[in-house]
Amino acid sequence: MKGQLTMPRIFLLTLLLIGSLMLPACSKPESAAPTASKLQVVTSLFPLYDFVRQIGGDQVEVTLLLPPGVEAHSFDPKPDDILRVNRAGLFIFTHKAMEVWAATIAQSVDPARVTIVDASVGTQLRQSSGHADEHGAHGHTANAAAIDPHLWLDFANAQVMVENIAQAMARKDPAQRDLYLRNAAAYLARLDALDAAYRTALALCKQRTLLQGGHFALGYLTARYDLKYHAAAAVNPEAEPTAATMAALVQQMRRNNLHYLFSEELVSPKLAETIAKEAGGSVLLLSAAHNVSKTDFERGITFVEIMERNLKNLQIGLECR
Amino acid sequence: MPFFEILGYGFIQRALIAGTLIGLLCALLGIFLVLRRFSLIGDGLAHFTFGSVALVLLCGVSATWVTYAAIPLVLIGALGILKLTSSARIHGDTAIGIVSALGIALGVILASLSGGYNVDLFSYLFGNILIISRNDVLLTAALAIVVVAVVALRGRAFFAVAFDEDLARTSGINTGRANIILVLLTALTVVLAMKLVGIMLVSALLILPPVAALQLGRGFLPTLLLAAACGILSVLSGILASFALNLPTGGTIIVASFLLFVVAALVGRWRRG
Amino acid sequence: MPMILLQAEELHIAYGSTDILRDISFQVRTGDYLGIVGPNGSGKSTLIRAMLGLVPATSGAVRLLGQPLAQFSDWQKIGYLPQRLSFANPHFPATVEEIVRLGFIDKHGPKRRIDASEARHLEEILTRMGIIDLRQQLIGHLSGGQQQRALLARALVGRPALLLLDEPTTALDPETREDFYAIVKELNRELGTAIVLITHDTWNIGQYAKRFVYLDKTVIFDGTFAEFCASAEMTSFFGEHSNKTIYHHHGEHC
Repeated sequence: MKGQLTMPRIFLLTLLLIGSLMLPACSKPESAAPTASKLQVVTSLFPLYDFVRQIGGDQVEVTLLLPPGVEAHSFDPKPDDILRVNRAGLFIFTHKAMEVWAATIAQSVDPARVTIVDASVGTQLRQSSGHADEHGAHGHTANAAAIDPHLWLDFANAQVMVENIAQAMARKDPAQRDLYLRNAAAYLARLDALDAAYRTALALCKQRTLLQGGHFALGYLTARYDLKYHAAAAVNPEAEPTAATMAALVQQMRRNNLHYLFSEELVSPKLAETIAKEAGGSVLLLSAAHNVSKTDFERGITFVEIMERNLKNLQIGLECR
Repeated sequence: MPFFEILGYGFIQRALIAGTLIGLLCALLGIFLVLRRFSLIGDGLAHFTFGSVALVLLCGVSATWVTYAAIPLVLIGALGILKLTSSARIHGDTAIGIVSALGIALGVILASLSGGYNVDLFSYLFGNILIISRNDVLLTAALAIVVVAVVALRGRAFFAVAFDEDLARTSGINTGRANIILVLLTALTVVLAMKLVGIMLVSALLILPPVAALQLGRGFLPTLLLAAACGILSVLSGILASFALNLPTGGTIIVASFLLFVVAALVGRWRRG
Repeated sequence: MPMILLQAEELHIAYGSTDILRDISFQVRTGDYLGIVGPNGSGKSTLIRAMLGLVPATSGAVRLLGQPLAQFSDWQKIGYLPQRLSFANPHFPATVEEIVRLGFIDKHGPKRRIDASEARHLEEILTRMGIIDLRQQLIGHLSGGQQQRALLARALVGRPALLLLDEPTTALDPETREDFYAIVKELNRELGTAIVLITHDTWNIGQYAKRFVYLDKTVIFDGTFAEFCASAEMTSFFGEHSNKTIYHHHGEHC
């Protein structure tokens, strides 16, 4: 019986394993004690996090709840996260369709202390067709009324969100009101410039159809710049593409002589690769910006940088001049 | 899209080949697992894979290889289930429940401790039979050859162990080794099949075709062959039906294997009178 | 001198600090018919399982056919009929013939193929057990008595020198029980097959067994029928009316 993995040994091993992982996590200084004077903001998703950062500069402490690389729909908040929201001055989330858990957290806080901000107020929401076709000409299914939650990909929406956030921050922290509004105005101009760059660059493309070998996430973007959009699967990440949808994408690539298929960053590119390979093309990455990789996050990537990177790949993929 | 045209696509052909092999693999192992009351081991091991993948990702293994890098850990998990069952007063299903819950818990804790990943963990864990690569097909074929060979050579011993472990031991069978071989092959199959067809499909394919065969089988060898046939038939009819009806393939395969089970149960009842 | 088939030497078995069996030493030789009796919880089943290596001994040794258990591999020579089968599934996909065939054993376990003479022997055994017509039936569909015969057939088909029976007749009606004992007796008489029988079946035991072990965690008595009748242990086991309970094979009773 020597050398066998007995139960006590397995448990011991597991405990050691957990312990060794927990030690560094516990001893890590929690980014010092939050400075009492600064406004504490907690955001659910990356775009909101970056907007707050752009508006508040170093006058706010902003925290992103969703860890890098974790799927927004399936995130499970830790006790620490709830605590952080309860200690914050502002808690900002996108839309209850995107982060169901954020709405749950929002209900649990003391409204006198923490101001809850629904950043989507006043934005233009798109219905996400149940089927992966942008114009929804065919395939409106039972869940056709569902809302596509990637609303920041329409830069006009992004601007409304920035304004909502700036107003909320100004109300919560009147001392810095001028700074917030000034920064917000500058950032709105950045978004205008970004919008103009997209409009110019995408006006002169050989291809007008964006094919995505994954989930339908870029509907706001394609609608704004008048592109056609076909994705292999619906907006909901749990939905599976059917063989016919995949075959249709392959045919479309072949028929229109398309060389590139787009895939979402972070998500496994296997589906897109399978379709692209079948049609003799290759895969380009796009980000819907709701989440970023750990590496990018630690590097301090911004929403605008992500969208500029997207534009470069769009120009390649759509064969723009 | 015309039905026959769709068969011309490479990804469809790979799905049909890999599906046939996985159906065969799962049925051959599943019949012994069901008889040993280990039916849920597929589910348990799949959950344990989740924890293992989280750990492997934490060690910085690249996303393409995580599932394969997690294999040694899953094998240990399988042995853990076996050890729990043979020690103490713990039944197979309870042991599976323990290891399964432990796997999920470790995965959740590790994912949280790591402070995030560079990829979406879930999208790498949950596969789709339509996006199988050539290498995956080859790997599945290799495992299928091993499993068929083991069942051909040692099937009688597995059968004796499933019938009665004490009698098997007094027939000179090393029952400990037979059990280890069975769970290790199952663990390999689960990891591979999960990557290819998703977590729910593995479990269903390990259970439904063998149980369908048990409704009809008159003896051990006929039941084994019938289970293999049911496994292959479920997957093939599921894939083809999903093309014809434009439905998600994974779910359709499960429904197909369930329908096959219902038919088998009805025929079995009718034959018994 | 008949060959020693089974030998226990100072066998001791404990779970944690609880003794299950202690200081067990006895032998079984060719032609023996040994009845093991004792109260509930006296360790009878544990003893038989320890003899087969199914329960590890805490100390002491068991030899089967002269070999220590760890080296023993000639399992075809040993026939075992457990008290209860672990299979409880009435649809267990095995026919009577498939189960009986598992009794043909080589050094790897049950044989994958059997030759013509073995096939003939299989037929003989099935016929002798009266289950030849049931050979294609699922084992789980048989009655308790038929199942017991099928399992006895499995134990016998390899022509064992030693047959270990753990309360084989508890599930049987009196008539089937008589039948079962008659078959075992015949084996013992005609082929010299050594029998070790654990039983509660006090009516029959004296009728068939030649020798008794009275077990209560240790061997309290080991001897012939006549000696057993005269012993105090017998009275303690069978009570005051033991003279009406236990019969010798020649029809006399204590």
